[in-house]
Amino acid sequence: MGAVDDPGARETRRWRNLIGLVSRPRPVVGATPADAVHHENKWRLLRYRARPEGLAYETPVVLVPSLINRHYVLDLQPGRSFVEFLVARGHDVFIVDWGTPGDEDRYLSFDAICEGYIGRALRVAAQHSRRNKAHLLGYCLGGTLAAIYTAAHPERVASLTGLAAPVAFHDGGMLTQWTNTPTFDLDALCSATGLVPWQVMQGAFQMLRPTLPLSKAAHLLDRAWDDEFLDGYLALETWGNDNVSFPGEAYRRYIDALYRGDDLVAGRFTLGGRRCRLEAITCPTLAVSFAHDNIVSQTSVAQLIEKIASPDKTLLTLSGGHVGAVVSRKASEGLWPRLAAWWAAHDHDAPAPAVTSPAPAVTSPAPAVTAPAPATLPKAARRRKPAR
Amino acid sequence: MNAWEFWKKGFDIWENATAKYLETVLRSPLVLGPAGAAMSAVMRSKAAVDKAQAEMLAAMGVPTRRDQERTLHALNQIQSRLIDLEERLADLQSSLDARQGEAAARGGDGPRAN
Repeated sequence: MGAVDDPGARETRRWRNLIGLVSRPRPVVGATPADAVHHENKWRLLRYRARPEGLAYETPVVLVPSLINRHYVLDLQPGRSFVEFLVARGHDVFIVDWGTPGDEDRYLSFDAICEGYIGRALRVAAQHSRRNKAHLLGYCLGGTLAAIYTAAHPERVASLTGLAAPVAFHDGGMLTQWTNTPTFDLDALCSATGLVPWQVMQGAFQMLRPTLPLSKAAHLLDRAWDDEFLDGYLALETWGNDNVSFPGEAYRRYIDALYRGDDLVAGRFTLGGRRCRLEAITCPTLAVSFAHDNIVSQTSVAQLIEKIASPDKTLLTLSGGHVGAVVSRKASEGLWPRLAAWWAAHDHDAPAPAVTSPAPAVTSPAPAVTAPAPATLPKAARRRKPAR
Repeated sequence: MNAWEFWKKGFDIWENATAKYLETVLRSPLVLGPAGAAMSAVMRSKAAVDKAQAEMLAAMGVPTRRDQERTLHALNQIQSRLIDLEERLADLQSSLDARQGEAAARGGDGPRAN
């Protein structure tokens, strides 16, 4: 019930909706049916139930969200869910739900999260494919983690997708400047808090554009007559205010090695004692940046494509912001079909049509080729004991 | 253009200009230096208080919060290592099964799984 043509009716509805905003039922988020196929510490791996017709593609897709946000941003609400879209297209979709860290997770290292947890998620998902591989998509910090993991352990990665994933951290951004302020004592913050409070990080993101809450309020007033917009707005606000704190030890390494040292691009970053060089990534890789992203710059995203040795790499630049471009209605007509087409084209080991981005900041078309889809769920080549 | 649209246009212009100005402010070392120092001072104080409390409890022989956190973390690490081992066992079992299958196909004796 979106469009209201009569200006009088629109005004009536606008004010009625605004007055009833507080008591308006909160939209259901993360509603696509899924089963937890693996639990470890606080995180779990969810596998979404396949559509009734069965899977259309052989290679599963593993989605890795950012550590500080809830996973359901990729499954926001029915009709506005990337996951729901993929499931409807016949993809076998897994997602990492990081859960809520406990106080003891202050000692959880960056390596344990990246190498241990992402590696496990990938291996569990890959069991469901004859290729024993899975597509890996990381969103925001999840993309950084995915790129680091792929650089160190490329074996089971069928393709890598970085969605607004920062790779180069010395990009002149405000976050880099703040974390490199000499008076900012990183060790004191981590020692004092253990888990770096989500309020600190959310506050930092809000300070990137301090007028954003006012702008959002003005936009809300403008569109309050539209029930569909209101539901989407509330769903996004629910997600935006449902953050998790960051394990201190992992945060220390994240800021020190990446924001301060820019070690990943410099080739100095190590994972589990093994040096991670982006040049070691040879699988098909897609990097997506957003033109109005005020958190992750296009330059930072483009470095992934610049550095890797893969002959099949694509840089896609779309309009929109860091979150809006991923969850909006527009995404269901632009970003989502392109990602689904990318995975479809890389469903088999045979080389896909290569679309190489010649330079950063150039928008390359996503491969439009869709691989022929098998009609039924492929049997796993070998099945291990089901994870708990 | 009605009054609302006019106001909205004005608001957008103001919001853009203010955001740009605030970005300049928030990038200034004159702001970042003292802000970082203030936050670090608060954090150091909190760490010092936590340490003093922990030392007092340790002197009384009572496990501190950190002790409990370390223990729980160690348990989590053990859980992960157990899962690692399960994975490796499953891998070994798979390769053993495959070899047995090949041997059976050839009609010979293959390695036996216990």
